[in-house]
Amino acid sequence: MTSDGTLHILSSIDLIIKSGESIAVIGESGSGKSTLIGLLAGLDTPSSGTIRLNGQSLTRMDEDGRAAVRNALVGFVFQSFQLLPGLSALANVMLPLELAGDRQAKAAATALLHRVGLGQRLNHTPRQLSGGEQQRVALARAFVRQPAILFADEPTGNLDSKTGTHIIDLLFELNLENNTTLILVTHDPTLAARCGRTIRLDAGRII
Amino acid sequence: MSRFKLALRLLWRDTRSGELTALLCALIIAVASSTAIAVFSDRLQLTMTTQTAEFIAADLAVASPDAMPGAWRAKAAQLQLSQAQTVEFSSVLIEHDELLLASVKAVSSRYPLRGFLKTADGDMVTETIAHQGPETGAVWVDKRVLSALKLQLGDTLNVGEKTLTIQRIITYEPDKQGNYYSFSPRIMINDGDLQATGIIQPGSHVHYVFQFIGTSPALAAFSDWLKPQLTAAQRLLDIHKDRPELGSALDRTQRYLGLSSMLVVIISGVAIAMAARRYSERHFDSTALLRCLGCRQRDLLWLFVSQFIVLGLIASCIGGVFGWFAQQGLFLLLKDLLPQQLAAPSILSLGFGFIIALTALLGFALPPLLRLKQVSPLRVLRRDLAPLPGSAWLSYGLALTVIGLLLWQYTGDLDMTATLLGMGAATVLALGMVLSALLDAAGKWLPLLGLRWRFGVQGLTRDRPAAVSQILAFSITMVAMILSFTVHNDVIRNWQQQLPEKAPNHFALNIFPDQLDAFRQTLEQQQISGSRFYPVTRGRLTAINNTPVQQAASKDSSGELAIHRELSLTWAQQLPDENKITAGSWWLSERPGRVSVEQKLAESLHIKVGDRLTFTVTSRQFQADVTSIRSLRWDTMKPNFYMVFSPGTLDGYPSTYLTSFYLAPEQKNLLNTLVKQYPGITVMEVEQILHQIKTILTHTTQAVNYLLYFAIMAGIAVLYAAVYASLDSRIYESALMRALGANRGLLRSAHIIEFSLLGGLSGVLAVIISEALLYALYSRVIDIAYHPNFYLWLLVPLAGALSVALTGCWGLRGVLDKAPLCVLREL
Repeated sequence: MTSDGTLHILSSIDLIIKSGESIAVIGESGSGKSTLIGLLAGLDTPSSGTIRLNGQSLTRMDEDGRAAVRNALVGFVFQSFQLLPGLSALANVMLPLELAGDRQAKAAATALLHRVGLGQRLNHTPRQLSGGEQQRVALARAFVRQPAILFADEPTGNLDSKTGTHIIDLLFELNLENNTTLILVTHDPTLAARCGRTIRLDAGRII
Repeated sequence: MSRFKLALRLLWRDTRSGELTALLCALIIAVASSTAIAVFSDRLQLTMTTQTAEFIAADLAVASPDAMPGAWRAKAAQLQLSQAQTVEFSSVLIEHDELLLASVKAVSSRYPLRGFLKTADGDMVTETIAHQGPETGAVWVDKRVLSALKLQLGDTLNVGEKTLTIQRIITYEPDKQGNYYSFSPRIMINDGDLQATGIIQPGSHVHYVFQFIGTSPALAAFSDWLKPQLTAAQRLLDIHKDRPELGSALDRTQRYLGLSSMLVVIISGVAIAMAARRYSERHFDSTALLRCLGCRQRDLLWLFVSQFIVLGLIASCIGGVFGWFAQQGLFLLLKDLLPQQLAAPSILSLGFGFIIALTALLGFALPPLLRLKQVSPLRVLRRDLAPLPGSAWLSYGLALTVIGLLLWQYTGDLDMTATLLGMGAATVLALGMVLSALLDAAGKWLPLLGLRWRFGVQGLTRDRPAAVSQILAFSITMVAMILSFTVHNDVIRNWQQQLPEKAPNHFALNIFPDQLDAFRQTLEQQQISGSRFYPVTRGRLTAINNTPVQQAASKDSSGELAIHRELSLTWAQQLPDENKITAGSWWLSERPGRVSVEQKLAESLHIKVGDRLTFTVTSRQFQADVTSIRSLRWDTMKPNFYMVFSPGTLDGYPSTYLTSFYLAPEQKNLLNTLVKQYPGITVMEVEQILHQIKTILTHTTQAVNYLLYFAIMAGIAVLYAAVYASLDSRIYESALMRALGANRGLLRSAHIIEFSLLGGLSGVLAVIISEALLYALYSRVIDIAYHPNFYLWLLVPLAGALSVALTGCWGLRGVLDKAPLCVLREL
């Protein structure tokens, strides 16, 4: 709701994504891309309609139920990295494993940080890392639980093109290694072209 | 001007969006409480000064052995001062073959100018308040006069050559002096009958008191005009010198009020600092943008400072109104205890609340604001680019110094201000470092903890400077509250201990050495408990190190009083009860020629240990060396002495004994028996004085109780501001954790653990700091025995944990139910 009345951000969305698919969501600013993947990831709830993830209805669950699904099935990479500022790179990556009660959290997180090339920066806090390094930590955190589905919201939006390309390469490599379903929001047509399917949004509708 | 308009526009925008709510609330509470306390204390003090004026029955009074010069009368009339006069002298009354030495007081028609008289009927049941003394032809008497002279109301009584009708029994006179001269039973007559008694002859020993009331400027002008004309035998009466037992009770109350106001200001300052910090952090982005758009650093600083000044002015007005109503409410609650006529507040006190508020605002809000100046324009590209923290210690140090100076000005008590601020700052600094090290160590133990505890403790360790400053802020707040509460309790307990239920209410004087044993036995037989018997020799201090004492005392000093009259000199082998040696040492051997001097008199006459004092007793002189200085309490209602000599020094000089004892109301008749059995002994009743002191204590106790509520209110403001200051980062973190799959139960328990640790740790620190400060305060300033408060060690950390956890969880309550995406987008 706004002062001018009801604002529909998304409407008439009917979308099925199969396991292992890679999908690019494109569209102009304000077309509802981030809202769409936020809803699909269970980070928000729609005012009407149903979202099913891996056979489970996200819309019927309460917040804690969605949290459990997010922890077990979903990985998320944000445009602005969204790392916890007080935690080291290692602690940030360990977090999803710890929340799941994994006793091998440290070993798994360390291995993945080595994999993304940050083996020497385990104990650095986000403030001590460059933008590209922070996004690599975010990638490691997203993949550390080996999620069934990964959402990436303009992952290179805050990075220069060279670093951006490195990150995207890494993202696709990890995606391939883990056989993860990928849903990627982007403005970049070349990046969209690397995905199996492209969905274009305009004023909240798929066209 | 356009920049000022921009500042106003930004301020309006922030206010509308709710950005300033926390800061404004903190400010309004700060202003309201400091204004309320300043105005309340000011009015209370003024009212109490007026009330204490009752004890000299006027605003200004002059004691003199001679009648008032005509020029004084004319000057007072010219300044439109109202005047009254009392004349006191001793006279022997003879009726029905009984003799009685009475103290006659002849009063003018306008006496008493302040306060009132109380009289009773023959049955002593109904008391009547009178605002004038007896008419001509009438006499009011003490009840003891009737029983001693076998008289009744309505009988006649010969006072000198004049026959007067006994009209009423006098039970209370406001200015009855508590010294050892006014012990004889009182009879009061109209001064129109004075001449007809024929008692006053040239050379008679008469005590005149001239009393005046009027406006403060007129009184001040009269006092200034009068002072140079006073002869050595005349002096201005002063509550502190003439009624020391009341003076010291008032002194301590004023100290306590000063302490309370200082503490509330400090707590409010902490709240402002917390709220300003959040304000500043939430403005990093817009500041970076303004800088990006070409705003210079000093323009930015000006922009924010001018916004804060406007904010301060608005908050001052709102808070001032609240403060005004708050203090009116206090007086309303206290109306049964306080005099009906309340003093109006001075403009200075209204301004004081305002100045303190603005000083606290700028002093405490400046460091976070200065941080805004440092915001890099690059932040528009890299949001995580936070400005370096400013030199907070320097800035807060500045704020504390400014407040310290203001409070010193207000309380006039450098010792108290310096003790609290100095020790407080040093302790806080040291504890800040210890705390930082402690959190560092806690971080290393994290992996050993369970998930909930780990997240909870992590909340504290991940941003150490923020956690340290928050714990310190809570600690300071709790310290202020503990101090308010404990000092208040201890001061009251101390007062009550001094004036126990059965505090001596009678003094017996002029007990001759050969009567001593018999008198002591009589008291024991009647099961009357009394203090020690002190030998007393009357004498004057005449020289200090062979210099005449008149040269040592200035006219205004309290020492002046002591050198113009005979002092009660005593000797003792043991240090008298409740006396404390402050310099030198008490004698262990019985060598004569040594003297111990009361501290205030010693200060006033510049007497030091090692000085040689000369005394005159019955026209003979002797000398004694000062071996110690003693402090003592004038409000104990036990015999107190300016000069105590070593045994043997006063041998060969005439002496009598003196003691004090408690007589229950039903034992009153014993007085007449005592007076008859020992006609030479004088018994003096001090019940009225005791009653007056107790009334004052009740009044002030009630008042300081209410002042505590302000400290609590300011404390709540701190809690609110502090929790909200760090709310954004907590909201962000919990949203992110939930995005990663943390459930609400886990986060809620982590928050409870984190906030409880924060509150509990602050509580432990607060108790440590408080105990240190209390020790310093009691031993150096208030002069009360220090006892560790064991219950605080349990109570304060528990209360701290509970209140911070509750407030914190309340602040975060909605956040856990909101969709994580909404939260992440909002921030």
